[in-house]
Amino acid sequence: MQNQGAIIAENLVKVYNGKVRAVEGVSFNVAPGEIFGFLGPNGAGKTTTVSMLSAGLRPTEGRAIIDGLEVSHNAEAVKRRIGVIFQEATADGDLTGRENLEVAAGTYGISRAEGRSRATALIEEMHLTDAADRYSKTYSGGMRRRLELAVGLVHRPKILFLDEPTLGLDPQGRAGFWGYVQKLRKETGMTVFVTTHYLDEADTMCDRIAIIDHGKIVAEGTPNQLKDRLGGDVVTVRTAPGAQDMTEALRALAGVTSVQRTDDSYRIKCSSGETLVPLAVETCYTAGAAVSGVTVKRPSLDEVFLEFTGREYREEDGPTATDRAVMMQRVRGAMGGRR
Amino acid sequence: MLRELGALTRREFLKLARNPQAIFTSLLLPLLYLLLFGQGFNINPANFAPPGTPPAVVQGIVYAYFRGAPTYYSYFAAGMVGFVCVTATLFIGANVIFDKLFGIFKRTRGTPAPSAAVFGSRLIAGAAQPILLAFFVLGLAILFAHIPGLTGLHVTASIGVLGATEVVLAIVLLSLMFATIFLTIGILLDVPQIYFAVVNLINLPVLLTSDALYPWGSMPAWLRTASQFNPISLAVNVLRETFFGASYYPYSPEIYLLGLFAWTAVLVGIAILLVQRALRPLD
Repeated sequence: MQNQGAIIAENLVKVYNGKVRAVEGVSFNVAPGEIFGFLGPNGAGKTTTVSMLSAGLRPTEGRAIIDGLEVSHNAEAVKRRIGVIFQEATADGDLTGRENLEVAAGTYGISRAEGRSRATALIEEMHLTDAADRYSKTYSGGMRRRLELAVGLVHRPKILFLDEPTLGLDPQGRAGFWGYVQKLRKETGMTVFVTTHYLDEADTMCDRIAIIDHGKIVAEGTPNQLKDRLGGDVVTVRTAPGAQDMTEALRALAGVTSVQRTDDSYRIKCSSGETLVPLAVETCYTAGAAVSGVTVKRPSLDEVFLEFTGREYREEDGPTATDRAVMMQRVRGAMGGRR
Repeated sequence: MLRELGALTRREFLKLARNPQAIFTSLLLPLLYLLLFGQGFNINPANFAPPGTPPAVVQGIVYAYFRGAPTYYSYFAAGMVGFVCVTATLFIGANVIFDKLFGIFKRTRGTPAPSAAVFGSRLIAGAAQPILLAFFVLGLAILFAHIPGLTGLHVTASIGVLGATEVVLAIVLLSLMFATIFLTIGILLDVPQIYFAVVNLINLPVLLTSDALYPWGSMPAWLRTASQFNPISLAVNVLRETFFGASYYPYSPEIYLLGLFAWTAVLVGIAILLVQRALRPLD
């Protein structure tokens, strides 16, 4: 593996209590200035991997290298180079936003005067000026996340780890948060490593993505590369309850590469959805299986996720489809329609 | 290290200042003890002396009963100082556990701040409370002596600079010792219920085997002996001997201070080992 990456994971393994294998040989290389998405179902090993990379947890095997420093031997130096935004809120609710930032600066050995100056600049940057001297427990969810981001940036890190940074935020809050991250990357060339459940966020924001499942990387590439690997569109045909099995008949149709049946629903991968739909519907009717619904999907990261993890993206872990659509519209607007 | 310690200590004091309920509650407990328990329990062994006993003998009985103190209240007030040095530190570890639950501790651990700064900041703020409270108790007990209808602390010996220094040292050492114990337990544990169970297992036996509140004359011999190794008793002995004279104490305040220092050194040493292990940069 080349050694010029900002973040390098080399065969990382984490075994808890000698029994639970949370991470099993994870390797990847994140280039400087890249936004790297790390996706996976709950319990797949995302947070454990982030903890090993950010000097929070010692790997059982393997090496994590941050900005050229092996984490196990340089934990303190690594902590000075990275900023971590945790999944949960970590700002102190009994302190004002400004005080949280000043204290955070102090924990990096930054002087009171410099800490005060950085706090003021970050407060302005994150549009928290009006709330700067209010206790952070009075902040809205979006303001808290912005404060968390500011706390993670107060020591000007080269690499930023974001662990589910937008979990629980409304679409506006998520769009705002990602707007700041994009701006930061553009202005400072900061490397960003992000874990998220929100696949559309990853699709839009990340340069590259790795999908982890059961502690192993199951896919890695740019969002487009991953979608291309699915090999075409996905048509879902639902038949009436109790209708005969149509798997073989659908598989025999031209352009079909695979058929997966779940109850009365058939997930058909094919080269062209538009061409297949009339053929599939006719085949079902001819065989006496009434069709109750048909959908055609261009490959999305949801499909990629399903393909590589064998699991549907769970809606309860993330936003609703409407939320996501609204958010992505806003993000694209904010970014000038980058993708 | 100093900047990190300063920043984290500032945080602790800011939080303390913003929690007036906790300050009020911490003042209420000793106030109630001084105002109710001490006044109501102010026993006088002279009352049990046979009629006609010469006043000098009666006074001797009282002094022997309360180790030189003129009244139970005076004896008890010095004991209360030791008592609050322990009780005011009980929550210090719980605060760490709550900070763990709220993610605040995780944030601090994610920074390069040395574990000594993380521990030290909480120790400074945690020990400051019982120290201030101890002086509040002393001040209030002395004030009560001047309020008609109330009993208070009567200092009968000449204190001097050395005596005052020794009193301050005893209070500081005892507060630091218990703050260290409870803070270490808080760092090692993650569940508040278990923390309070463990704290009670330590707190009650240590308090109840000391002579902080029991009249010396009513204690059985075995308890008197045991109490003399108790760190609370060691600190309280420094105060009582300084306030009421050396006649009823086999050792000088310096010896008691030395004992207290030994306790503190051993327990702080153990705590440092445990905390260093618990707060290693990578676990």
